[in-house]
Amino acid sequence: MRLRLGPRRRGSRGHAAAATGRASFDAGRYELTDDERAAFESKDVAGLYQLGLHAVLLNRFCRAAGYSRDDYRKLLEPFGAPEERKGRWQR
Amino acid sequence: MAEIVLAYCASHAPMMSAARQAAPKEQGDNFFRALDRIREQAVERGVQACVVLSNEHFTNFFLENFPQTCIGVGEKNWGPTEEWLPIDKVWIPGHPGLANHIAERTLASGFDPAFSHQLELDHGIMTVYYELDHDMKLPLVPIVQNCAVPPLMPVRRAYEFGRALGDAIRSYDGLARVAVIGAGGLSHWIGTPRVGDIEEEFDRWFLQRLERGELDQVLDMPDSEIELAGNGSHEIRSWLAVAGALAPTNSRTLAYEPIYPWITGMAVAEFDTR
Repeated sequence: MRLRLGPRRRGSRGHAAAATGRASFDAGRYELTDDERAAFESKDVAGLYQLGLHAVLLNRFCRAAGYSRDDYRKLLEPFGAPEERKGRWQR
Repeated sequence: MAEIVLAYCASHAPMMSAARQAAPKEQGDNFFRALDRIREQAVERGVQACVVLSNEHFTNFFLENFPQTCIGVGEKNWGPTEEWLPIDKVWIPGHPGLANHIAERTLASGFDPAFSHQLELDHGIMTVYYELDHDMKLPLVPIVQNCAVPPLMPVRRAYEFGRALGDAIRSYDGLARVAVIGAGGLSHWIGTPRVGDIEEEFDRWFLQRLERGELDQVLDMPDSEIELAGNGSHEIRSWLAVAGALAPTNSRTLAYEPIYPWITGMAVAEFDTR
C-alpha cells in the first residue's frame, strides 16, 4: 500500500461541517498515477484492488460507487487465491 | 471510586441498523434480545457513563497520522458520521473527567494513547452505543483502536491496555458506576474477494476461549493467523481490551449468530461484574 497522499478529503471540523456531512470526494486533490486515476474514474473495482487500495477504503469506494457487496465480490473473486494455511481453531 | 458495573462486547455491523430486517428473523431477534437485556441491566444498575472501545475505519485518522489507540477526552463527540445510517446525527456527551483520568493513568502504566478533544463516531461505536441508550444522552468516553492498518498493536498488548484501562476506571473518584464496552468483530471480510464470508468456527472458538478464560491461546496469535478469519477479525482487540479490564473474570455468551446478510459473525458476550 503506497502512502503518496495529497490533502485530506475531510472538510473543516465543527458543528456545521459535521451537521452537513462530509464534502464529496475529489480525486484531483491526490497524487495518483495514471493507472490509479483511470481505475478511480472508471470505477474499476478490480483494478483498484490489484493496485493495492486498502480494503477498508475499497469497501467505502464500492458503497459510494453503488456496488452492493455481492456485486463487488463477483468482481474481486477472480483475484482471490485459495487459502491453504489453517488457523489454530481449525486444528 | 468508580465501579465497573456493566461490561460487555458486541459486534457492530452497520447493517444491524441500516438493514435490520435483512437478517433472518430468528437470528436478528436473538442478537437484539441480548442487547435489550444489556440495556435493561444498564438502567437497573444506574450506569452513569460508558467507555466504548472500537476500531478506526479511516473516519478520524488517515495514513499520515494513525494512532494505535486514541481516547476521546472532549465534552462531546459527533456521530454517526455515515449519512446512510438510520441513527439520528447528534452530539454525544463525553465525560472529560473520566476520559482524562483514563489517559493519565494509562500513560502512567506505560501505554501511550493519543487523545482527541473531538472525535467523529461512525457505526463502529454508534450502532452499539445506540442500542445501549436510544436517547444517546449517556456520557460516552470513546476509545478508538487501530485494527486495520499494519503494523497493528499486538493482541496481547491490546489486552494489557485493557487491564490498565480497568484499573484507571476503578481509580476514578468522579463517578460511581461505569460501563465498559467492546464493539467490533467477530469474523468478517470487507474489501476483499471473500467479502460476505463468515468464519463460524473461529467465532465459536474465540467465544469459548473468553468463556473458559483460555486467553493465552488468543493472545499468542500473530496477525497473519487472525487474518485467516477475515480482515475484520482484527477487531477482536476491542473485545480483548474489555477482557483485560475485567480480568480474571470470564465472559458469558448471550448470543452468537452468523448473520450472512450482515456479512458478520454477530455476538454479544457479557462479563460478570458482581
